[in-house]
Amino acid sequence: MAGEDRKPARFVPWAMLSPGGLWLLLFFLLPTAVLVKMALSEKPNRFADPEFTWSVSSFSRAFEDYGGQFGRSFLYAGAATVLAFLIGYPLAYCIAAYGGRWRDLLIGLVVIPFFTSFLIRTIAWTSILGNQSSLTEAVRGLPLVPDDVNFLGNAYAVVGGLTYNFLPFMILPIYVALEKIDFRLTEAAGDLYATPMAGFWRVIFPLSLPGVFAGSLLVFIPAAGDFINNKFLGTPKTSMIGSVVQDQFLVQLDYPVAAALSITLMAIITVAVLVYSKLFGTDGLAA
Amino acid sequence: MPRPLPTPRPQSRRQFLGRSGMALGGLALGPAFLAACGEDSSSEADGPVTQDTKNLYFANWPAYIDEETVALFEEASGIKLRYTEEYNDNNEYFAKIQPLLSKGNAIEPDIIAPTFWMAGRLIELGWVEALPVAKVPNVKNLRADLQSPTWDPTGEFSLPWQSGFAGIAYNRTVTGRDLGSMDDLWDPAFSGKIGVLTEMRDTLGLIAKSLDIDISEPTAEKLQPALDLLQEKVDAGQIKQFTGNDYMDDLSQGNFAACIGWSGDIAQLRKDNEALDFVIPESGGTLWSDTMVIPKGSDGIDAAAAFMDYVYDPVNAARITAYVQYYSPVEGVVDELRRLGGEAAEVADNPLVFPTEESAKRLSSFGQLSEDDEATLEAAFSRIQGN
Repeated sequence: MAGEDRKPARFVPWAMLSPGGLWLLLFFLLPTAVLVKMALSEKPNRFADPEFTWSVSSFSRAFEDYGGQFGRSFLYAGAATVLAFLIGYPLAYCIAAYGGRWRDLLIGLVVIPFFTSFLIRTIAWTSILGNQSSLTEAVRGLPLVPDDVNFLGNAYAVVGGLTYNFLPFMILPIYVALEKIDFRLTEAAGDLYATPMAGFWRVIFPLSLPGVFAGSLLVFIPAAGDFINNKFLGTPKTSMIGSVVQDQFLVQLDYPVAAALSITLMAIITVAVLVYSKLFGTDGLAA
Repeated sequence: MPRPLPTPRPQSRRQFLGRSGMALGGLALGPAFLAACGEDSSSEADGPVTQDTKNLYFANWPAYIDEETVALFEEASGIKLRYTEEYNDNNEYFAKIQPLLSKGNAIEPDIIAPTFWMAGRLIELGWVEALPVAKVPNVKNLRADLQSPTWDPTGEFSLPWQSGFAGIAYNRTVTGRDLGSMDDLWDPAFSGKIGVLTEMRDTLGLIAKSLDIDISEPTAEKLQPALDLLQEKVDAGQIKQFTGNDYMDDLSQGNFAACIGWSGDIAQLRKDNEALDFVIPESGGTLWSDTMVIPKGSDGIDAAAAFMDYVYDPVNAARITAYVQYYSPVEGVVDELRRLGGEAAEVADNPLVFPTEESAKRLSSFGQLSEDDEATLEAAFSRIQGN
């Protein structure tokens, strides 16, 4: 009967979940457990393996010594997220609303630069914004601009690099959200005496929020942990927490402190995301 | 330490990218990190290891040998040489071998190429084999100034592979003048356009020498004024960045007016850009060496000796020098290069490869640091970099 036919279906969801579940178990949960254990370990001496002692000293060092880097990480990542939104939303909107049959091509063009390595693209900015680059020389030639203006080696350059590097992660989800919207809704809004502006803000924008929500997470999270942009575009004074983690892992070989920093970063981001989703609603994500 | 940049071949940019890429993915770290977390399941390998005289494995830095030597050595010795370029960074490589060597387990390579201070650490930790000097007669060709180095005072554990020196590299288009002293780096006119190396011993060494601090027997206390000066220049915005080999791009593009750099790099860059130059500051430069050591428990000690003997023959050493263009630790290489003529002879006369007698006097090596002092200095140096 029908009931018997359905029986095998019960384990189907589990079967479908298992590749992903196994993946998460092997490559997320286990490493996280290893990371937590490492963060609670101590090195008996500098060149020995860390020993698991439930010590929280690494965490106190992470909080005490690196507050500035944590602060800058979230400040820069936040600024980059806002900028990426301000740049990405109008772009995604134009492509979705007016792209017509060129839509796919235009979205392809957004992604094309990102076929090149992240590192190469960042280093390219040191040439474009360099001290002797034609762009810099041209700007220096403008009236009211000081002759020794320099674009590299400051916080703006770092935020700019972060924005540039993660921009597609903002554009793509917003585009996907906008693409699904039936733009005849704006006509309907107009029929109900809404101005085009009101139509956008009260109809289109709320419908696209899931994309904005997803996009801002996809930009903010990797940007907060980034160290490459600071390395090439910033100075020691603009260092972010990613640089510290990298340095502790690969140069100082202080795995416990590096692990404690990573966990702290993860914890702060998790809390921030929870708060953010409370404010903007994860309901939207499911829509 | 500088990674070599031979003329037409691999770019240090590429090496740098590879390294950062690894750091990015944490790949380099994976095995060591996980091993460090795991339980010790290894067996002690204390007894004499059965030697394999027919196979040798040398893990060296990238682009650090010419294209013929490996094959020529195999032909001459009958030893199969596995030559890799996996030694990319002292600390990363140390992280990789530490879990094994600290438990008395052998690693695969029979020769590795740590920079002098890392060689000193490995010797101190007892993680390297004594060299069978009797089987390396050509060791007599070792340059006099390298015969009892601070990192290996008896010279029984390491042989230099290549050496070189750090000083001031500058771009005359930006500076508008020649530089000659460390004070020139701190000229307010170059504010925000100065680079220093992430290699602590070169950066601190040069600054310390400019403050009349002796770096042959360094301690954290003695070097404090150098750290303070460095911090001051970072805070004031004089120093733009701490770099590895990637300073070469910033210097060529004029993002740096001047920086602390390595002689060999500038020797290469000068071929394309006459505005670039290198000077050993009045107060002196630092001399570094990358060494060959045999990790503890190697089964290729004799084969390693045969190889070391081969590359300490001035004829073979000159062939390597003509390619890598570093200050060869082998006496007689200059004559051999002159004999070869042409481009090789130019290398012999290049003061950025072989310093003049006068400038060689102003070079000195950074001595060995005690374990505690090294930890203190590395942490402080790291903090100044914003980490």
